[in-house]
Amino acid sequence: MSPITPDDVTRREFLETVAKTGGQSFLFGSLFVNTALLRLPQAGADPKSRAEAEVGKGIVYGFVVDTTKCIGCGSCVRACRAENGVPEGYNRTWVEQYTFYPDGEVFVNSPNGGENGFADPAPTRNKPTGPEAPMRGFFVPKLCNHCIDTPCIQVCPVGASFKTDEGVVLVDHERCVGCGYCVQACPFGSRYLNPETGTADKCTWCHHRVIKGLLPACVVSCPAEARIFGNVSDPESTISRILATNRVQVLKSFLGTRPRTRYIGLDSEVI
Amino acid sequence: MRHAGHFVRLLALVVITVVGFLYVRSLVVPKDFGVKGHFRLSAIDDEGKREARHIGSDACAECHDEIGAAWKAGKHHIPQCENCHGPGLLHTKVVAEDSTAGYTDKILKQFPKAINPGTGITECKWCHLKTFERPSSLKYIVNVEKHITEHQGTFSPASRCIDCHNPHTTVVKR
Ligand code: SF4
Ligand code: SF4
Repeated sequence: MSPITPDDVTRREFLETVAKTGGQSFLFGSLFVNTALLRLPQAGADPKSRAEAEVGKGIVYGFVVDTTKCIGCGSCVRACRAENGVPEGYNRTWVEQYTFYPDGEVFVNSPNGGENGFADPAPTRNKPTGPEAPMRGFFVPKLCNHCIDTPCIQVCPVGASFKTDEGVVLVDHERCVGCGYCVQACPFGSRYLNPETGTADKCTWCHHRVIKGLLPACVVSCPAEARIFGNVSDPESTISRILATNRVQVLKSFLGTRPRTRYIGLDSEVI
Repeated sequence: MRHAGHFVRLLALVVITVVGFLYVRSLVVPKDFGVKGHFRLSAIDDEGKREARHIGSDACAECHDEIGAAWKAGKHHIPQCENCHGPGLLHTKVVAEDSTAGYTDKILKQFPKAINPGTGITECKWCHLKTFERPSSLKYIVNVEKHITEHQGTFSPASRCIDCHNPHTTVVKR
């Protein structure tokens, strides 16, 4: 093949070559990007980065839910709705009622997110009694986990979901275009599209209260002290002492989102 | 170079595209975007500007000092004022304008979830009803139906809890 001189190249050939080589380098490049993206985060796999993410950078907030203390009164749900103006039918926090039966069936219930309390007995299996009666039960309050590796932030196409230095995951309501990707991406159902603003909304750990030196509304309203919020990078804080003296769990740890909301007394049936 | 014109035109196209992109980008991307990450830095302040609607029981007790003191001394000092009465921010604002204004309908309208105090026994049941999941070791958990049956004659089932129990102190009135 004789070397190609510019004079031999027609416009069509030139554009074809450009398109081909360009396409090839694009594919080649995206191969690298894709393998990088496919490396799934592994919970606790990198203790150094975990330590860096959590301690030593000033304030880092954490949240502990003690399911052994929760009485399912729903005060937190009502306080959250009032504090944050959460529209009817949506929840930033909610309480789930778990009922276990001797034959292994588990019944999960959350009428109105627990806002109006729970009935007794739970409306399950025609109120069985005797050997059929439920054997065990508890309440599990849920809220945004403020994950360290957040799928919700990764999918946002306009950079409207973000994380502050303190580890709080927030939504920029001016930038949010309401596409709802993050609502779908969150594996915990923590997000909703606010019909009043048209933007994604979620628990903020009451950021607007916390920066004023107040506790989140659900924490102050909980009569059972089932909700604990504080600075986990301060070893003297209440939450640090609770984390140091309890066995804690996170929701769906196998997803590797590394939640900052931790649970005491979480049963394996809780999802 | 017979085809130099092609390159010049292509280059012009590239330059126009890049400049156009940069111009549009400068219009739509806020100045403080990307300072600390892929987000608008001042969005943190925007979120922080919201008012705290729950003002806390100490703030309530500044005016309602008698009830506040009784509440603090009594057994019902664990649930906060705003657990039953709704967030106090709007109330303090309304009162600041007109000191004779009480706990008005306007406030209830603004915060429809605010509880109109003492509407019945539903609100008491939220915490006090004996349910299967609630540890019976907790003294405040009561079997409401049994309690009502036991007190048949003392009050009719249509009565409200607060007819006998002072909700601020839990002291039994009669
Ligand atoms: S719980 Fe959901 S919304 Fe909250 S940080 Fe994790 S992925 Fe995002
Ligand atoms: S306020 Fe506390 S005890 Fe009541 S439902 Fe919420 S977490 Fe449970």
